[in-house]
Amino acid sequence: MHLIIGGAGQGKLPYALRTYHCTPADVSETFSVARTKRIFDRFHVAVRAALEAGEDPQQLTEELLEANPDIIILCDEVGCGVIPVQPEERIWRETVGRLCCALAEQAESVERVFCGLPMCLK
Amino acid sequence: MMTLVSGGAGSGKSAYAESLILQSAAAPRVYLATMQAWDEESRQRVERHHRLRAGKGFFTVEQPRNLSEVKITQGGAVLLEDLSNLTANECFGGAGFAGAEQRILTGIDALRAQAGELVAVTNEIFSDGVEYPPETARYLDVLARLNRQLAEQADRVVEVAAGIPIFWKGEKP
Repeated sequence: MHLIIGGAGQGKLPYALRTYHCTPADVSETFSVARTKRIFDRFHVAVRAALEAGEDPQQLTEELLEANPDIIILCDEVGCGVIPVQPEERIWRETVGRLCCALAEQAESVERVFCGLPMCLK
Repeated sequence: MMTLVSGGAGSGKSAYAESLILQSAAAPRVYLATMQAWDEESRQRVERHHRLRAGKGFFTVEQPRNLSEVKITQGGAVLLEDLSNLTANECFGGAGFAGAEQRILTGIDALRAQAGELVAVTNEIFSDGVEYPPETARYLDVLARLNRQLAEQADRVVEVAAGIPIFWKGEKP
């Protein structure tokens, strides 16, 4: 598994498509579809959807990695703002951050994209 | 030579951007200010930046919009501060969102044709996970696209954190 993180709008998807020779047909945005695709884009949004549906994003992530151990996961960094007033926003932000830490630990590579430019973190 | 300098609020990006201009042999030094001082806080901010540059030989040019109107001495060193402000001024004033991105890119092209050294300061405001109202989201999108395009054109791309420059592209001078 490969993890690509970065702020919103920094060009993570174009970078992943280019680097891993993928096309938009290889991209998924949900836990279920991601089982059979090469790229899982907008992981942070899927985590929010899972939380809203009362599902456990950590379990969904573990199941996904079991089904698709070579997947490339793209996730926005969402933890650099003021602590949100809404509890569900706080939980989401925290969950995304913790999941990224866990993914980074298991990942073969971790890259951070900034203004379209990659930096290898692992 | 063009350098894009980014970072969060209070990261030291302005001081670092200025140091790049001071290290450059290009002259004259032009501080291209994009902020419209309309309240006490922004006046204080302008004041602080004036103090920081005092005695360093900068000419200040104020240009909140329409960057392509700027005329500088050929070969000069330009510190453009900053893109997030300029983008906001273009998007929320003047001619508005339509064509804002292109106006800024054209302006940067015109500056590069005149300047021997161009250092453009931008902002890292994309990692807070907040879903903004549509107008703000659109502004963020324009700024992110500009940052990516300018990063592609630039010789150096630097993120400043706690005053420390991190080179994403190019090398430390």
